[in-house]
Formats: sequence, structure tokens, C-alpha cells
Amino acid sequence: MNPRAATAILLGLAAAPALAESGQEWLTRMGAALNNSSYVGEFVCESAGRSERLAITYRVRDGVVSERLVSLSGSGRELVRENDEVVVYLPDRKLAIIERRWGRSDLLGALPNFEAGATPWYRVEWVGRETLEDFGPAAVVAVRPLDGYRFGYRLWIDLDTHLPVRSDLSDQNGRVVERLRFSRLRFDDGIPDSAFEPAVNRNRLRWVRQAPQDNDEAPSWRAAQVPPGFRLSTSSLQSVAGTGSPVSHLVYSDGLATISVFIQTPAPGKVPARGTTRSGVASAFSTVVDGHQVTAVGEVPPQALEYIATGLRPASPPAPAAAPNRRN
Amino acid sequence: MTDRIKEQLSAFLDGELPDPESALLLKRLERDDDLRGALSRYSLIGAVLRSDGDVPAARQVAARVSAAIAREPSRVGRLARLVRRDSIGRTAAGLSVAAAVAFGAVLQVQQLTAGNANPPEAILAKAETPPVQAVTVDAATPDAPAESYVTPPAGDAPVGIPPAELANYLVAHYGYASPFVRRSVGADLVSDYDRSRVETAPPGDAPQP
Repeated sequence: MNPRAATAILLGLAAAPALAESGQEWLTRMGAALNNSSYVGEFVCESAGRSERLAITYRVRDGVVSERLVSLSGSGRELVRENDEVVVYLPDRKLAIIERRWGRSDLLGALPNFEAGATPWYRVEWVGRETLEDFGPAAVVAVRPLDGYRFGYRLWIDLDTHLPVRSDLSDQNGRVVERLRFSRLRFDDGIPDSAFEPAVNRNRLRWVRQAPQDNDEAPSWRAAQVPPGFRLSTSSLQSVAGTGSPVSHLVYSDGLATISVFIQTPAPGKVPARGTTRSGVASAFSTVVDGHQVTAVGEVPPQALEYIATGLRPASPPAPAAAPNRRN
Repeated sequence: MTDRIKEQLSAFLDGELPDPESALLLKRLERDDDLRGALSRYSLIGAVLRSDGDVPAARQVAARVSAAIAREPSRVGRLARLVRRDSIGRTAAGLSVAAAVAFGAVLQVQQLTAGNANPPEAILAKAETPPVQAVTVDAATPDAPAESYVTPPAGDAPVGIPPAELANYLVAHYGYASPFVRRSVGADLVSDYDRSRVETAPPGDAPQP
């Protein structure tokens, strides 16, 4: 064999592992790391008009996931989660909200199976390797949306831990909507239970439990139009803080992004909300359908929320209003 | 903001501010976010007064004014000059500035929503062009640090869901959020930024898919 040809073949073989790197493989590794690692760290969340630094403690032990998010800006707000129960402490509102979803512990932390085609409305791309100042080399993977109804993601996955140390949320044109960046991340398999105790004085808070109603009654609402690829994944009647009556909660998903639609009877005398509200990574669109307040919430472009919210319809015709009593 | 500035704003909206002072105020409006916010509030008050108490309608007008001003502050001056050149009258002139800005906003929305026969993707693509602020990450340099972020137009008069209610809904949504951004949703819930300033936009500013 020609020596040059042999050298070329050898060089080709040496380069093969790098060529074999794929975005889907790295996402699979990342999913496994997220489901099995315990760690403590700090990260910064940046979006339009704000930059927030937070501390995170995350532990997986005997199949139980515990997580604590603490704002480091002094507000005292915290989020503490144990499996499918989440408690948000809002001392500035003198409020603690408990959200529990029975039997849905799989929801938290699960990544979709990209290789099995569970997310056809996205294209996973291997971008390459990049060295981050705080973490060294990282694998960069892009998850691009195929239309304007959903956001895309760019993930920097640490080569050693396989944890995402930076993520950018971007619109269809690749413009950044929000960025999350870890500044510190350390594995720790010995995190004690006390690390998940909130620092706020719990006795001074009003406790509100938000949970699905413990009955089989399903919401009688359905979306007449949904963005391509979105399907109803679950629905329930549930209590929500600040509302006197149960709220219908429908969840639509395209396999990755989700939209929650809440339908409630407006309180007497209250002016219904209408329009778009943006808060960090999530948006909300509110409108009125059949005299009900409809609010769609999700980490998707506002257009997708408006599209689905304005298409909400009662699954069955509403009962006719009682005729007013007449005096003869 | 001083009482003097407030008086100037009020006089400007009433068409009673002398031209030299109007010119100075317009320059200041172009660079002062707080002043533009005050202009929105004053325009809301004016809109309510002119709308025989139809508060929702007036609020929509004011919110559109606010959104348009937030998008293109430099346009305030241009529109004001146009309005004044048309000699509509001093009293109407100041009010017409707000109306012209609102009209501009409505025109933009109409342009975006015209032709419902278009496929949703096409309309969305158009919708993404005008209302957003400057963004930095482009295809050529996808990893460049972002200096600013995409954001929908901000309104000074909240018309969407109140921030506290949104937080309650976000708690309920948290467990279902995309695993890629669930941490961001959690971060948003515990952030202590001023929730009274969450960005809102009236219905109609987001085009129908």
C-alpha cells in the first residue's frame, strides 16, 4: 500500500471518534446525569430586564429527588421540591404555595427521547466543543424549532459531569430570549436533609395547597385549535391560590415544550384580564371565552399561547342560565 | 420627576405647551424611560376622560400608545412634528400625538394580521420582525454574549394577568414545564425583581397565527 494512503487511512480512523459525536447522544448522557447526580451550585438567569443569581441544591437518593432553589438577592424566596411536591415560599406575599401532583413524579426531570422521534418538531444538531471559562471544555448541542410556535435551545454540556452548565433559550431566528449560566457546580453525594430546609419562618406564612381535585371529574373544555404538534397530555380540575372555585387545567405538549391552559369563572365584579404578560422565560395570554377567564401559560412564543387560548371551547354546551324570577 | 415636568407633560398632551418647550420635552422623552411611562399614564387618563368612562377601551388605547412609544421612542418626535405641521389646532395637536402613535401601532398590527389566508408560519415570520428590541446573537456568531434579549413590547398599563396570579399559575405549570427550562421557571418564581413591572401587551399586539 502506498505509504501516503496508509497514513491517510490511519488519520481517518483517529478522527473517527470526534466525527461520531452527535447531539442526540449528548442529550441522552445529559438526561442520565440529570436523573442520577447530586450536586450543589450557583447560576445566573438572564433575560430582558433582569439578571438573577440563585443557589441550587439537588439530590437524588433512593429514587427520591430533592431540590432547593434560593434567590441570592435577599428576597427570601425559595422553591423546595421533593419528588412530585413543590413548595414555593413567598415571604414578601406572606404566602407558601404547595403544588402536588399525585403519581406524576415522572414529570419532573424527565427528558424526552430524541432518538425515538418523540420530538419531531425540533431538529437536534451537534454544534461542537467549546471551552467555558468556569468549566473548561463543553459539548454544545442545539435543539432547533422547526416553526415559530416553539422556542429552541442551545445547551453547553460539561464533558466530565455531563450536566448542562449553560443553556440559551432562543426563538426561531436564533435570537436569545433567556440565558442560564452556572458559575459554580460541585458533585456532592452526601447532601444532608437539612440542606432542603427553607430559611424562611414558616409560621408567619399563609399556606395554600394547589392540587388536582381528588375526584374523577374532568374539565369540560377542549382546544378547537392547537399549534402543530401539540397534543393534550393531561387535564384536571385543581385548586389555585387566589381562586375561590376549582380551575380547569389542561396541559398541551409537543414532546418538549408545554402549555398550561387555565379556565376559571371570574370572581364577581372582577375585570377579566386580556392580553399578553411576560415573566422571565414564561409568557401568559389571557382572554375571555364564554364568560370564563382563560389564561394560557408556557415557555413558548406568545403567539402560540394566543392561538390556543382563543380556540378554547366548552366540550359540551354550557347549561342555560337560569331565567330571572318574574313577579306577576 | 419634578412637578414642573409633570405640568409640561400635561400641557403637552393638552396642546398648550409652547413649541420651544415641546421640542425640549420631546428630546427628553426620547431618552427618559420614566418620562415615557408617565406619558403613557397621562394618555390613559386622557383616554378615559375622552371615552365617557369606557375604561377597557381607553386602557387598550393607552396600552398601545405605551407599547408604540416603548418600541420607537424616536418616533414620538417625528409624529409630533407631523401632527403640528398639519395645523389641526393646538388643542387637538397634543392629543393627536398619542393618537398618531396609537394609530401607527394599529397600522402595524393590521399589516401583520392582514391576509389570514397566509399559512401560520408565514405570519409568524413577519410578526417576529418589528416588535422586538435589539438582539445580538446571529447565525454568524451564535455564541457571542448577548447584550440584550428579545422582549415583547412593554406596556405601562397592565392589561394581562396580574403578576401575583401569574405566579400562582406558574407554580401549577412548573411540574409540566420543559425539562430544559424548568429550572428557569423555578428561578422566575423565586426571583425578587419587581413583579409590578412584568411586561404586558394588550391583545392585538400579538398577531393571530
